[in-house]
Order: sequence, then C-alpha cells, then structure tokens
Amino acid sequence: MLGLVVALVVNALLLAALGANPVTAYSTILSAALGSVAGLAQTLNRTTPLLLGASAVAFAMRAGYVNLGIDGQIYAGAILATGVAFLLDGWPAVVLLPVVLLAGLVGGGLLASIPAWLRATRGINELFVTVMLNFVALFLAEYLATGPWTDPVAGEAITVPISAAADLPRLLPGGGHAGILLALPVAVGLSLWLARTRSGFEFRAAGSNPLAAGFGGVRLVRIGVVALVVAGALGGLAGAIEVTGVHSRLLTGLTPNFGYMAVLIAVLARRSPVATIPVAFAFAVLIVGADSLQRSVGLPPSAVLLFQAVVVVSILAFETARGRRLVARLVQATRRSPGRRRAGGVA
Amino acid sequence: MDFLLDLVDADMLRTTLVVATPLLLAALGELLLERVGLLNLAIEGMVGVGAAMGFCVVFVAGRTVPTVLLAIAAAALSAILIGVVFGWLTLHLQANQITVGLALLILGLGASSLLYRGVVGVTTTPPSIGTLPLWRIPGLSEIPYLGRVLFQHDLFVYVGLSTLLPVWWVLHRTPLGLRLRAVGESPKAVDALGLPLARLRWSALVAGCALIGIAGSFFPLSLVGGYSDDIASGRGWLALMLVIFGRWRPWTIAAGALLFAYVEALQFQFGVTSKAIPPQFLRMLPYVLAIIVLVRVYGRAQAPAALTKPYDRESRF
Repeated sequence: MLGLVVALVVNALLLAALGANPVTAYSTILSAALGSVAGLAQTLNRTTPLLLGASAVAFAMRAGYVNLGIDGQIYAGAILATGVAFLLDGWPAVVLLPVVLLAGLVGGGLLASIPAWLRATRGINELFVTVMLNFVALFLAEYLATGPWTDPVAGEAITVPISAAADLPRLLPGGGHAGILLALPVAVGLSLWLARTRSGFEFRAAGSNPLAAGFGGVRLVRIGVVALVVAGALGGLAGAIEVTGVHSRLLTGLTPNFGYMAVLIAVLARRSPVATIPVAFAFAVLIVGADSLQRSVGLPPSAVLLFQAVVVVSILAFETARGRRLVARLVQATRRSPGRRRAGGVA
Repeated sequence: MDFLLDLVDADMLRTTLVVATPLLLAALGELLLERVGLLNLAIEGMVGVGAAMGFCVVFVAGRTVPTVLLAIAAAALSAILIGVVFGWLTLHLQANQITVGLALLILGLGASSLLYRGVVGVTTTPPSIGTLPLWRIPGLSEIPYLGRVLFQHDLFVYVGLSTLLPVWWVLHRTPLGLRLRAVGESPKAVDALGLPLARLRWSALVAGCALIGIAGSFFPLSLVGGYSDDIASGRGWLALMLVIFGRWRPWTIAAGALLFAYVEALQFQFGVTSKAIPPQFLRMLPYVLAIIVLVRVYGRAQAPAALTKPYDRESRF
C-alpha cells in the first residue's frame, strides 16, 4: 500500500515536471477511463489482452517459468487467426468466430512450444528464447502485413480486413467487445485449477521446490511444457481477440508492450492469476487515461510505461524485508519527532 | 559467383564493424555486471535511454566536439542513474533481480520516449542531427581493400571497438579483475577475505551501465543521425545473448559481436541487391541466430555461480 502511495507521489512529481497539474492530470485519467460508457469500453478493451497475458504469465511463474514472450505470442495468435479468417471467408459467424479464436490459441501455443521444447530437451532458459521470438513474430507479422496480405490502399503495414462474420460481438457502445467475457473466466479458472486440483498442486510444488517435487514423483519436464504452452496459447488468444475485436485485421502496432506490462502485472499480483484482474484493470485505466493526457498535456503514449514502472519499482522496493524495515523506521521517526519538539518546548 | 563476392564486399564488412560497435559496448557493460553477479534485464531500456539522451543533448546544443562528448557523458550518466536504482533495489534491498530488471526495462523504454518528446515535441518529420564525420586514417585508409573496411570510420567506432582491450585487461590481468570475478562466483568468500564487497559491486555496476548507456548514444550519434522509439530494436537483448554466447569472456564476446553484426550487415547488402528475400526475413536472422547459438552453447556455458543470487552477510549459506 505504502509503495502505491509513493508511486502516486513520484508520478505526480513527474507530471508536474512535464508541466501538468498532477491533480487535474489524475482526474483526467480517471474521468477519461471510467467517466463515460465509451471510456469504460476502451478500458475494458485494454484490460482484455493485459488480463489474458498477465494471468498466463502468472500461471507459468507458479511453476517456475518466466514467459517474456507474450508480445510475440500475441502476434503469432493474430497471424494464425487472420490467416484462418481469410481461408474460411464466407462461413457463418457461429462457426467462424470460435474457429478463428481457436486458431489464435493454436498460434500462440505453437510459438511457445519452441521455448518449451528447448527447455525440456536442452534445459535452455525460456526467458531468452521467448524474448528472441518476440522479434521473429513481429517481423513475420510485418512481412505478412506489407507483403502477401497487405491492403494496397492503406500504404502501411496493415492487411485487408477479415470477414465481418469473424468480428467479436459488441458488448458496450463505443467499441467495447466481448473479449473481457473470455478473459475473466480464464483468470478465475487458472486460479481455481491451481488451488483446487491435484495437478494444480503438483504444478505449484514444481514451482516452489522442484527438487522435492521431483522426488515426490512430479513429472517436472511435462509441467514445464504445459506451463509454457498454455501461457503461450493464452497470449495467442489475446492476439486473436485484438484482431477480431478491435482492428478486424492484422497490423504491426498490435501490442504496445502488452507483454512486458503483463509480466509487471503478474509480479504485482504476486503470481496469482485471479489477482491479476484488478491490477490489469488498473493498468488499463492508466493506458486509456494517458491517451487522453496525450491530447490535453501532449504526453506521448509511451509515458504510461514510465508511470507503470514507477508503480512497480516502488512496490517492489517496499515489499522486501529491508524496505519494510526502512518504512518502519520512517514511521517511527515521524511519530517521535513531534514529541521531541514538545519536550524541547518545555525545556 | 556474384553472390559469393557480395559476402566479402568491402562496404559490407565495413558496415559489420559499425554495427558491431554498440553491440560490443553494451555486451561488455553487461559482462561487467554479470561478473559481479548481477543479471541486468533492463539493458534494452538503458540502451534506449542512452540513445534518447545522446540525441537530445546534440539536438539542443548543436553538433560540436564538446557537445558530442557531453552527449556521450549524459548518455552514460542516464544509464548509470537507472543502474543505481537497480543496484539499490537488488543489492541493498535484495529484491529479485529479474523482476526489478524488467520493471526498469519498462521504465527505460518509457523514459527514453518521454525525454525525446519532451525535448523535441511533436513533429511531422523527425529531426536529424547528422552522424559524426568519418575520420580516414591518413595512409592506412589508402590500402585498397583493408583501408575501406578498417580505417574509414568515425571516432566512435575506433574508440568503441578498442574498449575491448581495457575491459579484458582489467578483468583478466589485474588483481582488481580477479576480485571482481570472485564476487560473481562467491560473494561470501570475498566478504570473508575482508575485501570491500559493496564497493567492488557498485564500481562494476557503474562502469557497466556507463558502457551500456554509451552504446545507446551510438545509434543517434553515429549510425542513424535521428531518434525513434524503436531505435535500439532489440540490440540490448542481443547484447545480453552475446554475453552467454561469449561464455562471459571478453574476447569471445567480441567474436560474437562481429558474427551478429555480420548477419545484420547482410540485410543491408541483400536488401539492396536482391528482391527475392523479403527484408523482414533478413531482419529476423540475428534473433533466429541467437536462439541457434543458445542451443549450441548453452550446455557448455558456465555462468558466474552467484548470478542473480542475493547475498546477505547474516545468512548462514
């Protein structure tokens, strides 16, 4: 909590340094993101990929794996979803939409199976492989969006639109799509599975003490593969939702660092998929709010990255043992100082 | 036949050296950090901040010799600033290096973009500061083929590539280097010997971050002449891979930097001469190569034993 307060203060100072009144800036953020139905729709749209990504990352972290590749998996899922939507052009929505979303799952899972396989057979740290694949997937998407699938009229890295039958149903006016209805059960389901099932217990055991879990008969290699591939598939689903819900096509600006944000959210939520729900929502509020700050104060969209990082760094600092001791000492000092002053007054 | 000649084209080998410079600088910086047990995942963000800082200083103050030096110093300082936060959180507060590194990575990406927007504002065409002039070494640059490859660069490239020598010398030929490497293997032993553990770690951290920041300033000052948010485009991550590829040794890291830079230079060469391969596939090559290299090297690579492990003097192990 204290970390959050510090973060808000530091961010207020940052805003002031940029020439914005922090109070109006904060209220602009809140009113833009939550003050209207259209704003709320935008916020929920941003929450969806963040929530899917963060619960996927948190899920893999529980088993002891770091998936930094959500960005790449979003692109992989979006690529396969778009491809399938092109291929099945003309099919009715009832069939097409589920198939396209499934294609997203498969795309993300396929990309994540590379680090999973390398980890399982060669023990290679998945962290580095997932990051490298982010770039591979991004360039593949750029190739498709400028080459074979390109929209010749657009003149930029953007494909022709997919069939309207593959669009996600709208939930709210202002473009709010139904993706959030997929993301919420995923986050809750992952947490329930981890907490309530036998395999979920094995999963957590593998993450907290692999040696003991291994001796206890847990198949560690299989858990690693499941953790990474499932996380990748959820990232891919987020990509398919971005395509079918927001853009109706594949383009290169699909993820403004959602993947890195997802890791931060998972860390803040202490690796609990269900706890990523409020954190992802808060991050989405920041993103949408910062978009409106861009119009009023002239902040670049990436400034929101800075604000999020400040929040995470402050909270990380105050979560450590020494950080907490530091806070305790500060609190004591502030409590003691008025007493001392009074004593001095008497003397 | 033409295809084979292209592979050793003088201009391409020249580009290789240019591209290798920031990779090498950033990788040597990361090496210093990892040798004292710090895995710095924020490297990509630090490179970005260095790039933005380097650009902004020259953009504001003009391109003269002192301002360019100032820009490089400012780039180093800005990366050190992030490094100090990293060090305070991981060394003093003993927070998890990976999560702190990722948070600071995001911080760096946001800060660099904000800095650029704050200084330059919103423009339709991105401003250019021009790249540093080439310094043709008299005499040597006249050598037919080698002269073009080796002796027609700007000063940044010459100095940047030769950073290898002092880093190698200090790490592997001096008592200080032995102590630094010992910190990464066993901080407990270093502490028990009464050596200044904190000072060793912090000095390696500051020096390493300075190199990473300087590597960032190379992009606007020497390679591009402008700035964009994706200017580093994963080079920081590649530098991180290079440290593994080089098995935590300066000379092998340098060889790796040349190899990666060569692969990157291929895209410039074939992007021009051949239309058969889409450029995006050529741009994928370094990252695919990094994964392949990881597969080949990983089992044999020996990371510093204390890498990412927090050290608490009061703990028993």
